[in-house]
Amino acid sequence: MKLRYAMVCSSNQNRSMEAHSLLKRHGFDVSSYGTGAHVKLPGPSLREPNVYDFGTPYKQMFDDLRRKDPELYKRNGILPMLKRNSGVKLAPQRWQDNAADGSFNVVFTFEEKVFDMVLEDNNEFCSYPVHMLGNYSLLAIDEKSLLIGISYLHNRDHVLLKSVLVINLEVKDNHEEAAVGGQLTLELCQKIEAVESWEDSIDDIITAFETKHRRKLVYSISFY
Amino acid sequence: MASVDQALSLLSAANNHGDLAVKLSSLKQAKDILWTIEEIGLKAMENCTVLIPVLLALLRDNDSIVARESIVSGTHLFCGVLEEMTLQCHRRGKVERWLEELWIRMLKFKDAVFAIALEPGPVRTKLLALKFLETYILLFTTETNDSDRLVAEAVPSDLALFTIGNRRLFNISWVAGGHPVLDPVALMSDANKTVGILLDFCGRLHADQLSYEELLGLDIAALVVQTMGVTGLDNLLNMFIQMTIYCLLSSFLEIAVLVVHDDLVYIHDEWYIEAPIMLKDIYVRSLIPLEKDIVSANVEGMLLLNDSCKVGEEYPVRVIIVNFMIEDWASLASVARKRPLHYGTILSALLDFDQKVETVKGRHAASILYSLRTAFLGFLRSTYPTILESRDRLIRALRAMSAGDAADQAIRQVDKMMKNNERTSREDDQSTSQSVLGDQLRKRPVPMDNEEQTNGHEMAPKRIRYGPNTSTMPLQINDSDKDSALVNGASANVHLSDSDLTPAEQMIAMIGALLAEGERGAESLELLISNIHPDLLADIVITNMKHLPKSSPPLTRLGSLPVTQQNCSPSTSAQVVAPSAPVSSTQGPFPVVSASNLSLSDTTTVNNFAVDSKRDPRRDPRRLDPRRTATSIGVPSVAIVDDHGGMQPEMDGSVSFSKPSPLPVVTSVENPLEPFMSNSKCEDKSLEGPLVSETDQISVKEEIISRPEEIVPMSEANASSDHAFSPPHALDEGSIVLKVSDFEVASGADTLSAMEPEQLSPDVSNTSLPEEICQVDLPQLPPYVELNEEQQKTVRQLAVERIIESYKRISGTEYSLTRMALLARLVAQIDADDDVVVMLQKHVLMDYRQHKGHELVLHILYHLHSLTILDSAESASYAAVVYEKFLLVVARSLLDAFPASDKSFSKLLSEVPFLPESAFRLLDDLCHCDVFDSHGKEVRDGERVTQGLGAVWGLILGRPNDRQAFLEIALKCAVHSQDDIRAKAIRLVANKLYQLNYISQNIEQFATNMLLSAVEQPASDIEPSQSGSTDQREGEVGSQEVSVSGSQISETGNCENDSMKGSQSLVQSVLTMPLPEAQRHISLFFALCTKAVHRHIPILIRALGSSYSELLRIISDPPEGYFLFMTYADFGFVSGKVLQILTQESTPSVNLISTVKHLYETKLKDATILIPILSSLSKNEVLPIFPRLVGLPIEKFQMALAHILQGSAHTGPALTPAEVLVAIHDISPEKDGLPLKKITDACSACFEQRTVFTQQVLAKALNQMVDQTSLPLLFMRTVIQAIDAFPSLVDFVMEILSKLVSRQVWKMPKLWVGFLKCVSQTRPHSFRVLLQLPPPQLDSALNKHANLRGPLATYASQPSTKTSLPRSTLAVLGLVNEPHMQQPCISSLHSSGMDSSAHGANPA
Repeated sequence: MKLRYAMVCSSNQNRSMEAHSLLKRHGFDVSSYGTGAHVKLPGPSLREPNVYDFGTPYKQMFDDLRRKDPELYKRNGILPMLKRNSGVKLAPQRWQDNAADGSFNVVFTFEEKVFDMVLEDNNEFCSYPVHMLGNYSLLAIDEKSLLIGISYLHNRDHVLLKSVLVINLEVKDNHEEAAVGGQLTLELCQKIEAVESWEDSIDDIITAFETKHRRKLVYSISFY
Repeated sequence: MASVDQALSLLSAANNHGDLAVKLSSLKQAKDILWTIEEIGLKAMENCTVLIPVLLALLRDNDSIVARESIVSGTHLFCGVLEEMTLQCHRRGKVERWLEELWIRMLKFKDAVFAIALEPGPVRTKLLALKFLETYILLFTTETNDSDRLVAEAVPSDLALFTIGNRRLFNISWVAGGHPVLDPVALMSDANKTVGILLDFCGRLHADQLSYEELLGLDIAALVVQTMGVTGLDNLLNMFIQMTIYCLLSSFLEIAVLVVHDDLVYIHDEWYIEAPIMLKDIYVRSLIPLEKDIVSANVEGMLLLNDSCKVGEEYPVRVIIVNFMIEDWASLASVARKRPLHYGTILSALLDFDQKVETVKGRHAASILYSLRTAFLGFLRSTYPTILESRDRLIRALRAMSAGDAADQAIRQVDKMMKNNERTSREDDQSTSQSVLGDQLRKRPVPMDNEEQTNGHEMAPKRIRYGPNTSTMPLQINDSDKDSALVNGASANVHLSDSDLTPAEQMIAMIGALLAEGERGAESLELLISNIHPDLLADIVITNMKHLPKSSPPLTRLGSLPVTQQNCSPSTSAQVVAPSAPVSSTQGPFPVVSASNLSLSDTTTVNNFAVDSKRDPRRDPRRLDPRRTATSIGVPSVAIVDDHGGMQPEMDGSVSFSKPSPLPVVTSVENPLEPFMSNSKCEDKSLEGPLVSETDQISVKEEIISRPEEIVPMSEANASSDHAFSPPHALDEGSIVLKVSDFEVASGADTLSAMEPEQLSPDVSNTSLPEEICQVDLPQLPPYVELNEEQQKTVRQLAVERIIESYKRISGTEYSLTRMALLARLVAQIDADDDVVVMLQKHVLMDYRQHKGHELVLHILYHLHSLTILDSAESASYAAVVYEKFLLVVARSLLDAFPASDKSFSKLLSEVPFLPESAFRLLDDLCHCDVFDSHGKEVRDGERVTQGLGAVWGLILGRPNDRQAFLEIALKCAVHSQDDIRAKAIRLVANKLYQLNYISQNIEQFATNMLLSAVEQPASDIEPSQSGSTDQREGEVGSQEVSVSGSQISETGNCENDSMKGSQSLVQSVLTMPLPEAQRHISLFFALCTKAVHRHIPILIRALGSSYSELLRIISDPPEGYFLFMTYADFGFVSGKVLQILTQESTPSVNLISTVKHLYETKLKDATILIPILSSLSKNEVLPIFPRLVGLPIEKFQMALAHILQGSAHTGPALTPAEVLVAIHDISPEKDGLPLKKITDACSACFEQRTVFTQQVLAKALNQMVDQTSLPLLFMRTVIQAIDAFPSLVDFVMEILSKLVSRQVWKMPKLWVGFLKCVSQTRPHSFRVLLQLPPPQLDSALNKHANLRGPLATYASQPSTKTSLPRSTLAVLGLVNEPHMQQPCISSLHSSGMDSSAHGANPA
């Protein structure tokens, strides 16, 4: 049984993309997202980050930064990362705007804040008849926005009562940790993929994983 | 059909196929097809019957995925079937056979899923099954997103539209038809059972759940379940917005619905949230007669529901939560947050669970904890009041989870948000007049959304409903509707802010503005409403009541179901049923709109209604006005038009008025205009005109925007021209009455029979007609029935009673405030009916303190009082009557019910807004009136008087306006014939009241008058030796004296002469009176005098001057009778004061001195009185009294000391410091009866004044003393003190010591100890003195102070000294010229001597 995975961090650059790229290489059906308002990359100083909108192609960022200060961004690994990313997909995507991508079975987050957002977000869309959008999208938009006052929508599958597993694996936002996090994520995904029904064995999987890697995980279940 | 067949084959293929993949794909296809089916049309559903068994089979499929998919599919189908069934039932009054069958099969499906949920099995299937369980319960509820989603998914397009607009595709209330299959009771009880199943399942019953379980057994459980669903919103904010807007905009609407409609099943779904619940509670309770079985059953059910809602409605949620904790605990957080209203229970359940997390086996505890954490944080971020209240608990829990930082952050966020919102809302409010209009136009869609969401089913269906035939249009209609409504709201706001508004109206306006603000406004609104004062909230509600229709709105709700049919039926039915009933029926939609729109209220409307209600609503011509009927028929969707249109005829064709009113309407009319134009040809011309013009206006938006300016003057003009403009109160009354009557009729068949005949007949025809005409399509039209006075009274009474009843059971304070406010308003609207008052009084009394009876009373009284102040003369006097009656009843009952020590009575009187005359009488009676009843038996008990006086005191302090009246009461008591009452009153007056500047003069005046009356009376009666004229003069003098003693110190001296005489003779004359009588009259005076003297005498006497002989005489020889009224202590005090003052500035005269001396010798033994004259006394005069002075408290002694030492200019000091010391030492404790301590204290006091008692002084005194024949007891003590104070005195002291040696000090044991001590302290200087001692004494001394021996021996061994010492002395010191070896011998000798001496001298 093939599950659909989503990797979510805040900027959809480092941690989620690392996992994305790794899982992709291992043949998983995986997407990646960021939950931030913008894509932020380190700049010449802490107070001068490079800020892009979601949807700005990695390539474009790459060019931009290479133009600005190739040495710096090469040294701090930003350019290699962007290069890697552009090989995985076109541009960073925002989790909140991913409605068109359909529903996932498993969502990985790499930061508690992101985890919370995903859950919250999920709660929102799972409670609303967004699946009705097919025919009555306009009304539905109306409906939704009036209800939650949020302009985005999650145009998920027409699948109802679909459970989604959301796992948070704390990963520091640097290249080394991201690499480790990617490996761990891969392992966990393989475990989840291996069982017949993750609902029935998630506790065991998580517990075993925690014991093995001495890392704390938190998970939650939501519905689409 | 092809698709259905295809689905069937696919399904059966799925069922039969062994291969999982094939199965799945078949199933998925089948599901897709099911979807298509639904889209194609409901007809296809007919064939679904065949599908169900397949689904059922698949449910049990070994593969959990298949099972899941079939649950999903089945869920869709289930909802769809239910939906279709309901629709059919409503449209055609029956359910087609195939559908019934399908439904029965669906129920089987349901049972199967339930079984899955509850049996052990794969989690993934159970998870979904549980979800279905939840859905199932929620389905029979309202406003649940889950059901919405489910249902909406399953219905065809036109329905879906409807659904979306309505947001409540299905709720149990629709199922009103009493259909055998679709029986609401059965359904709900089934839902109830489901709750029970969940309950069993979770198996975690808590104590409070048990009681609820009993409730579950009742019919109301279903309602509870239903209620629960209301909260199925997915986040707190939305929930809150929804709730608040509901509160404000639609609660009244709902009430109206309740009131006029007898189908109470339908009411249930209005039972959303607590605030409206309360309102509804009030009205339902007040208005539903219990005669009609079903109705009453329902009512009772609702009441029960209401009463138990705190526990009840939370319960199922909890079950589900707990459920999820076990099976799907991971969604805990979301579940919890979805249901903020059930927060309390959820929280405790969660907290409870928090404790138990450890014990959850096989689960990932960290994740559960995290879910809890998320839930708690979510709560924290909410500004929902109850949640705010439990912040502490949350924070504690979070801290325990080491999420304290997150908690703090959340709190900061919330606080910040609240602040921002407050600011925003303020700004919004202010800016309304200028920019809001534009803003609102821009932001219109959002607010409307909000409104729609909250108002939801009310608003939307109405819009869509009226363009039902043109089902392609709804979208546009929706849009334009929104526009229009907003414009309407905006314009209303604008001119609202300009005109004079009540706070409630302002608040409504503000809410309107916030609504218009959209998302941002929503937050502010949330905040705003959470902070609205209950009174204001109640006012808002009551204000909104004005916009209630004069007739029943049920059609809005019920009519909303048969979407398409509505169109054709109303016009016919309306026409036929006319005149009165149709108004109500067709008007149905109106209240909805008006409630929502008008709650953004505009003044013109208010004015209208004011005018309206001024007239007798029951004789309202509009009711019979055919044009009105036409209007309401014609413009069903255009609420406001209807409203104003209906007004027109009444407004005497005032153009100015009718013009502004259509304006808001315009917009909303636009679309519906077309259909209704064609449909109802009977439209009045007057109506058509404005409508058409309005459509023009709407196309030009600028014009609308510019409109408000026009409106303002117009509305003003309107108001001014409207001579009968009446204050809100009148409005309330009107509308309430209307509602009451409406409802009464609607619900009570029995009441009908009681109606007056001429009213009855039209009613009957009304009720019967609509049924025939509308048949099943339209629900019964509630007839309009008028109540006679009696009935109205009963109904009102019932209302109050019910509120009171429910009041008792509601424990939380949260809504009790609102409740109070409402109760107050209701009472204000009820006749000053004794029954009601008594009922209230009983209620209030029952738990005056615990249940805030006091607050309720104050609420009511303040409300009544405000009406009295604000309202027109008529209603004001009416309110005043009620006010007085209520106040008195409560006050009396407080007196009766509570012990005299209770402060409630006093508190009540202090805090009520106004005290009527009768309240004074009550108080007067309490304090003062007859002590004896008619039989001469004593009935009053003193404590009551105390209570009354206490109250009076409090009132004098707290109610400045009525001070005089209260004071009179107190003063009357102060001359009461009964001693204890009088004593109490006098104590109060003299000790407390007299100190209050603002009344002291009145008290004086009164006391004086009383005194005079006492004086004059005996003067005439008894005629003593004095002449009448003297008496009169005395009287005057007396008064002068009083005033002098009181405050007018500027009285001149010659007058004082008289006054002194006067008072004296006055006292004499008083004494001639019968004593009790005299005392009655004058005791207050003298009590005051005492006080006054204490206060004022210094000034008085200073003014008199010390030479005043008369005063001296009085002082020396206080008048007879003085001590009748004054204590000796008082006299002493006064005299002391007098003397102190007299002697302060000048030397006391000889007279004075002798007088004081005389006084001291004869009357006052207190030496204090002597202090002022001490300086003028000679040494010989002082010395005898000196011990007495030493015996005074130390401060007074010091004062006396100062006077003595100061002396007078002529004579010099009476005693020198040295003499003082000697005098002190000469005091003998035994002889003078003074404790030794006093003497030592006096010494110390002297030593403290180093500048006075210098070392020379000390030396002199010591010298004197040492030469005295008997040495003072304290002599050595003083010597030691002296040398401590002045070390340089050491040589002098040595001389003294030498003298003492020569005086054989060792023969005086007490001094000998001191001597040795002193010697020891002053070594080595004292060695010389020591060596003067005879050897035995020296030996004894050295034994006592062994440390002296060595140094002394050394000293003595000095050749110069040694030679001068006698051998015996040297021997004692071991310095005898013996060989050195003898030393030990000597020392042994010495030691033996020491022993012996120790033996002799120091037995201790």
